Amino acid sequence: MTESHTPFDHRPDTRLGAALREALTAPGDRTAFVARVLAGAARQPAHPVEHLLARWAVRGIAAAAAAAFVAGLVIGRGRASAEPSVSDPDPGAMIADVQAEPNLLLVAATGR
Amino acid sequence: MDLASAGRATVKMATEPQRPTGDARNAKEVEDAALVARARSGDREAFGVLVDRYADQARRVARAVLQDSDDADDAAQDAFLAALVKLEQYDSARPFGPWLMRIVANAATDRRRRRKVRSAVSLNEGLVAGGARPDVVAEREVLLGRLRVALAELPERRRLAVTLFDVEGYSHAEIAQVLGIPEGTVRSEVFHARRKLRVLLADWRDDG
Repeated sequence: MTESHTPFDHRPDTRLGAALREALTAPGDRTAFVARVLAGAARQPAHPVEHLLARWAVRGIAAAAAAAFVAGLVIGRGRASAEPSVSDPDPGAMIADVQAEPNLLLVAATGR
Repeated sequence: MDLASAGRATVKMATEPQRPTGDARNAKEVEDAALVARARSGDREAFGVLVDRYADQARRVARAVLQDSDDADDAAQDAFLAALVKLEQYDSARPFGPWLMRIVANAATDRRRRRKVRSAVSLNEGLVAGGARPDVVAEREVLLGRLRVALAELPERRRLAVTLFDVEGYSHAEIAQVLGIPEGTVRSEVFHARRKLRVLLADWRDDG
């Protein structure tokens, strides 16, 4: 059967397939494997609704956190624009600073 | 199946895979879809039938990636449990096998990345002591060992392509879906894998 095959053949090579199948077949107990998988499945939530709720819970928490962040940002900016900031410079103080600068330079130059 | 005639090495291979006909395949896909629908609604028995149905295939595909039967079983188990969680995402208009095999291949690849694959390929694994004569068993052992080594030397994608095509009976289009590559690339990978593996089979046959 294989003799009629070329590597280009689009038919499955049953002889190579059988050899590979045997080479890849695990020596372990198949029944034990199936039982192991089912035991693992039994530990998971039985109903898909539970998976769905779990997914929604994660998404809900993420959405709530994002909403809280955005709300905080908006409220913060609103307050900033409504009230004069403590850090806003007083125009009088700015003028005083400008006037004080030559004195500071003079002190530095004379060393007193 | 006798691989060589009298006077040459004669090895009894494992049960020859039967590629399902179109009707059989469709019937299986319909059954799978029904089982998936039941499993989605929480029927663990239906999920158990799916696990039983695809256990061998999943273990072989995982082993094709990992080359270690224990790691492969762990990966196959991870894949089944992941599939159970993702059943809602499965499109029942498509065959279940390729969808599941994609999860298996990904689980095996992830596991390979996480762990260092034990370098020594277990050449003696997979040998089933049957009623065959010791010399026949020994010859089969040699062949299987060579096959595993040759398979391990192939790039991972090539290993998976030839396993899914020649062992598991998937079409090129389905394998393209499993591996996420174009169909033409699948044909190329199968071609290169066969070219290497068939040389090995020919050598073995001439050994006798």
